Amino acid sequence: MKLLLAAFIATLLHAAPPSPGQPSYEKANALFVAQKFAAALAAVEEALLLDPTLIPALTLQAKLAMAANRFDLANRSLERALALDPQAAYAQFLYGMTAYMNNEMKEALTRFRKARELSPKDPRVALYLGLSTESVGTPADALALYQEAIRFERAAGRPQADTLLPGARLLLLLGRLEECEAWLREAVKLSPSLRDAHFELARLLLKKGDPAQAAAEAELALTLSAGTALDPAIHYLLIRAWTQAGKPDRAALHAAVMRAEEK
Amino acid sequence: MLRFLPLLITAVATAAPPPIRFEEIAAQSGLRFELQNGEAGGFHQIELTLGGVAAFDYNNDGCTDIFFSNGAAIPSLRKTSPKFSNRLFRNNCNLTFTDVTTEAGLAGEGYAMAVATADFDNDGFADLFVAGVKGNTLYRNLGNGRFADARLATSDAVAPKWAVSAGWFDYDNDGWLDLFVANYVVWDAATEPRCGTPERQYYCHPNAYRGLPNQLFHNNHDGTFTDVSAASGIGRQIGKGMGISFADMDGDGLTDIFVANDSVRGLLFHNQGHGKFTEIGLEAGVALRDDGYAIAGMGADFRDLDNDGKPDLLVSGILNDSFLLFRNLGGKNGFEDYAQRTGLLMSTRQLTGWSLGMFDFDNDGWKDLFFALAHLMQLDRYLGRESALPNRVYRNLGGQRLEDVSSTAGLAFQSPAAHRGAAFADFDNDGKVDVVVTAVNGPAKLFRNVTAAPSHWLALRLRGVRSNRQGLGAKIHIRLADGRDLYNHSTTAVGYASSSEPLVRFGLGAQPAASLIEIQWPSGRLQKLTNVAADRVLDVTEDGPP
Repeated sequence: MKLLLAAFIATLLHAAPPSPGQPSYEKANALFVAQKFAAALAAVEEALLLDPTLIPALTLQAKLAMAANRFDLANRSLERALALDPQAAYAQFLYGMTAYMNNEMKEALTRFRKARELSPKDPRVALYLGLSTESVGTPADALALYQEAIRFERAAGRPQADTLLPGARLLLLLGRLEECEAWLREAVKLSPSLRDAHFELARLLLKKGDPAQAAAEAELALTLSAGTALDPAIHYLLIRAWTQAGKPDRAALHAAVMRAEEK
Repeated sequence: MLRFLPLLITAVATAAPPPIRFEEIAAQSGLRFELQNGEAGGFHQIELTLGGVAAFDYNNDGCTDIFFSNGAAIPSLRKTSPKFSNRLFRNNCNLTFTDVTTEAGLAGEGYAMAVATADFDNDGFADLFVAGVKGNTLYRNLGNGRFADARLATSDAVAPKWAVSAGWFDYDNDGWLDLFVANYVVWDAATEPRCGTPERQYYCHPNAYRGLPNQLFHNNHDGTFTDVSAASGIGRQIGKGMGISFADMDGDGLTDIFVANDSVRGLLFHNQGHGKFTEIGLEAGVALRDDGYAIAGMGADFRDLDNDGKPDLLVSGILNDSFLLFRNLGGKNGFEDYAQRTGLLMSTRQLTGWSLGMFDFDNDGWKDLFFALAHLMQLDRYLGRESALPNRVYRNLGGQRLEDVSSTAGLAFQSPAAHRGAAFADFDNDGKVDVVVTAVNGPAKLFRNVTAAPSHWLALRLRGVRSNRQGLGAKIHIRLADGRDLYNHSTTAVGYASSSEPLVRFGLGAQPAASLIEIQWPSGRLQKLTNVAADRVLDVTEDGPP
């Protein structure tokens, strides 16, 4: 007991003093979450002025640069962070993201693999390593990574629809329709207001020969705002679904909307 | 010994067919041409998209000749050096070629992109239309080995845009070929957008450029043309046109048009008759990829892949697009995605395709696929690998599956390059379809088909009387003794920026004859031939009164 107490006291004595930049960083982070990017940038620069070695501030600076499509600046911040602490897993993940978002897949793979070594159970790393792997043409490996990402999230009790969707899309491309449907049904259940989940489910149902249900899902997707599926893509699906369902008038309505938007 | 007989029979019955094979013979045959894009570090968009090539018999000697379009200096767009010359090579009928550019008068001028061949004046000699950047040229074949610039004879000057493809077809079935020109984007060297940073410049995405309408020119029967783009409805649609292809998709006797567009949706112009077209790409289900994404459409071919009598549509795209294959369901049912089921979708996902063609390379009765490939230049850094690619050939397995057989197609076939245009013809008259392919800043390739399959074949060389002289647009149905039905149609508009022979070819497999040949001429006349022996080029003149 005495030994444990001595160790605890020693830990306290040797603990790093709080960073002088910490309050500014916390303020910057709150502003970033509130999407007040200009103010966040000013605060994070203040934090780094007070403590140039503050790694969370460097990663936040990188995120702000990425939000402004300045991947060169983001890389500079992240390289500084990783030089200070090569084990900084989140900085390494973001370093992979800059390459991925810049479409530099070879570099993205290298960086995400390193991130995976540092944080082997991070679902985000598995997901983006999977996306990069799929981009360079190895779908089987990509699918295994998507499955891993989902496994990590389930183990943590936080499965995400956004993590299920890339795998479901790949399963659809591979023609593995039953597995795809299971993933998509789960995604819809997890995020019933996510248009991407309904849109992908509609694509699957059309592929499976159920145009009426496909049309119903796609019409629902059109009414939802959350997600990245674009209106024209949904309209295009609806044209085909309603045509196959024997309702050309409804198909024509969607074609008219698309043509009007093209002008 | 007898006990092994069933095994032997099984082995023979299931033996793999001989591989589709090509040998590359350009240099040894005297076909020495290097496509020059004139690049000088300026990252001008036009440097990416040139390379049209034509396979046509300009002197009617029965041996298919080759015309190459070529680039020019930038920004002048002038052919400031002989290296920029367009070139015509005469086929000497012995697998050698002679450069006859000068005597033919075809060296050309300007920055050429594409070529379309057909006998537009019905004089029996195939003419040339060369499309390019801010300048198109119509050459009339004088029949004496020379070509005359026919621009002055046109009643409507072909407006100087940036054309990437062109094609000849008879949209109103009046017996005279009309001209369709696919235009790409608004471009000017001085005002072109710049992308990247001064230290790290790259080619801009097509989104940085404004698209253009396509053009349709009606043949006035006197060597002049009228621009009917507006009146026909063709000019109403803005796109970024690349490859074009023609087919009568709904069997109504009128030729329809598909235009592959770069990063905007594909256009399908349905020929309504009376000189009017309606764009129905969305309704027909060929406008976009299955997920609603507009691929960077490049080459296109519009032929019957599954021998059901309805032309299907093939479109190439760029890395991570996957190539598109649409199966024609007939009539109002439109088209369905067929790339996934046939295996083409995933196997082309890592490719960038330019010209292409659906031709039966092993003469087994099923049209195979050929793709001229290369990633966009300067992408090496992003890809982590070379942008030059070898071409690919896919065997058609009964219209159900497409098998990539490139690895067994010959050693020279594996050679990467910045491939672009491709034209298809039987250059050595051995009954097998060969391919000539261009490569940016590299030598052209002539892939001689040396597939060892013992299959029979038949080629139809059509001569229209009421229809246009070459019978372009004619639809042919062949019935074999084993009950199989084969379909094809006559067109020179194939792939990307290129023009192929007008002959209509069929592989007959083991059948030494066609029981029945039905030719549906553009004039509407149906002509039937019975019990036609195989392994020859059959000259067919449209019967009935002119």
